[in-house]
Amino acid sequence: MKTQHPKPRVGIFGLTGCAGDQLQILNCEDRLLELVRELDIVDWVMAKTDNDHDCALDIAFIEGVVATELDLQRLRTVRERAGFLVAIGTCAVWGGLPAMRNSLPKETLRGEADTQSDLFAEVAEARPATDFVPFDFRLTGCPIERGEFLALVRAVLAGTTPELAAVPVCWECKTRELPCRVIFHQEICCGAMTRGGCGARCPGHGVACAGCRGPVEEPNYDANVVMFADRGLSWRDIAARMRAFSAPVWMSMGLEEEARRIRDD
Amino acid sequence: MTTRTVTIPHLGRVEGHGGIHVTLEGARLTEVNMDIHEGSRYYEKLLVGKDFHEVQGIITRVCAICSADHTVAALVALENALGIRVSERTSALRGLLLRGAAIESHALHVFALALPDFLGFESIMSMAERFPDEVAFALRLKQLGNHIQSIVGGRAVHPINTLVGGFGRLPSHKTIDSLRRDLAQVMDPLSGAVELVSSIDVPEWAAQPTLYVALRPRGSDFGFRGDVICTSGGAENPVEDYGQSVREFTVEHSNARHAALETGETYMVGSLARLKLWGDRLHGVAEESFGVLFPDGVTDNVLLNTRAQLVETVYCVESAVQFCESYLAFEEAEIELQEVEARAGSGIGAIEAPRGTLFHEYELDDDGKVIAANVVTPTAQNLANVERDLRHSGDCLLQTAGVSDTDLKRSFEMIARAYDPCISCSVHLVRPGR
Repeated sequence: MKTQHPKPRVGIFGLTGCAGDQLQILNCEDRLLELVRELDIVDWVMAKTDNDHDCALDIAFIEGVVATELDLQRLRTVRERAGFLVAIGTCAVWGGLPAMRNSLPKETLRGEADTQSDLFAEVAEARPATDFVPFDFRLTGCPIERGEFLALVRAVLAGTTPELAAVPVCWECKTRELPCRVIFHQEICCGAMTRGGCGARCPGHGVACAGCRGPVEEPNYDANVVMFADRGLSWRDIAARMRAFSAPVWMSMGLEEEARRIRDD
Repeated sequence: MTTRTVTIPHLGRVEGHGGIHVTLEGARLTEVNMDIHEGSRYYEKLLVGKDFHEVQGIITRVCAICSADHTVAALVALENALGIRVSERTSALRGLLLRGAAIESHALHVFALALPDFLGFESIMSMAERFPDEVAFALRLKQLGNHIQSIVGGRAVHPINTLVGGFGRLPSHKTIDSLRRDLAQVMDPLSGAVELVSSIDVPEWAAQPTLYVALRPRGSDFGFRGDVICTSGGAENPVEDYGQSVREFTVEHSNARHAALETGETYMVGSLARLKLWGDRLHGVAEESFGVLFPDGVTDNVLLNTRAQLVETVYCVESAVQFCESYLAFEEAEIELQEVEARAGSGIGAIEAPRGTLFHEYELDDDGKVIAANVVTPTAQNLANVERDLRHSGDCLLQTAGVSDTDLKRSFEMIARAYDPCISCSVHLVRPGR
């Protein structure tokens, strides 16, 4: 712990994003007052007005991508203030949907000129917060799972970190004995490449995994792409689907040019 | 005459990143800006080339609090583009989803974001000591809204079960029957909350005539789905002409567009607008609550929006019970999903989201891939009116002797918050060149 206060001092922050991970913390409705009893939340602009923007923090949670210079400033300040810094949500951990913009030509996005104050100055690419400063823990999910967040808080209060599911969504789907979306429905399901912890929620609703929790450790992208292509699914569809949540990884696959060629055809 | 500025760099208790910047000359406001400095995410461009099946999963992430509303608006627009009519059961279930989203969103705003202003607290957490039962109930109500969204949409934030043509998995009758009972149980404490809120004075310095805009609900009851855009000035336009009636424009200090009507007038969308236009269509306890919270009908004061949201919360709970009952009247089934053939076309979907009228429009090619997308959010429509209200109330307060900058700041924050801005929603867009 960084401060000597009886209750750990906590800050909750958002960079560019949908605020869904902060909302998931508010969505711990039946546990919220208990959390407030154990944590001294001193800086949380989304939920409070009496905030201390300068004090040292024992634990800080931050969501979103760095899309503007202001985001970067905010992130650096939070890193300096925090003893234990947690990235919450797929945007902060992997880049998520906002990172999709990186593969599109800038002029497509913004028209011709944009004269903005420094406040709005964009960084070249929207990138995950974890690309810029060291983090002590990464809690993925779009949005984060309530249960995983609570487990994390409990563990950090006990001076440790939680053991969260490290298996792919595909594994969780198999343990539920759900019919495979690829084999039985010829769908582009990202479950074999995506980190579990959601309990295969989408296949459980008869929907293919979109990959919203970001990549599992050592995903075999090539094998997945071949598996989809063998079932007659088009390159264009595979690229579009995988790009949605696997953007940073997709880039490094060397398939970027292929995807661009297909898009331009 | 001395020039000075009053700045709120980062508004608290609102969704997203925004601030207020005001310049004064003596006791006169010369410049009033609501700065929106949330980064743009360009969702409309990101959708180009995506298959129509993928649109909802992407566009829902424009905003977490309104994710169910963006979902329904997108699905309706896509179904219009593809020439599909969904079943009555799908429509009922989507109606239930919209009620769940509104209960969650309104409970969050009324109790956690707005009410602390009126009761002199800095957050719902600090309110809990003085008002433990009320806060516990507010959180339970919010949870109920999320419970509905989980049952119908598969989870509370960013629904997954909601598909073009229907649902991946239908909730069981047992689940809906149990939900119906949960809903019935909040009616009594909800009336208590109405009493509490009706006892809190609403300041007058924000009162000024405003133009209100809302969709006319289908049928003869209150509701969130309609096909005609109506103004309190009596103008009516079909949803298809939204591009004509809602004129969006860019301003220097905001990453979100502003909007005005064809006439150049700014306007308000949201709960207060809906009650102003259609409050006489309420029945049951919602009608009674409307009477308690608005004894003189809807009067022009944006700070009353919190009361309007509470009336709508009562409406949503009652209406959700009705949707449960209609759902239970259908024979139980596991899935309901129409076969959808890709085809070229374009379609518009408009609904009343908690914060006001939301428009989605998509154009698809022969393969069902997105050629163009457009989303007009309630917050973007409200921003010009927020600035107008800030200017008016600033002028009003400066007439009063002994008003400090701290008082001004607090009042500005209250106005901005009363609109319940959803800043993430408002900056999804593509900023055209100047």
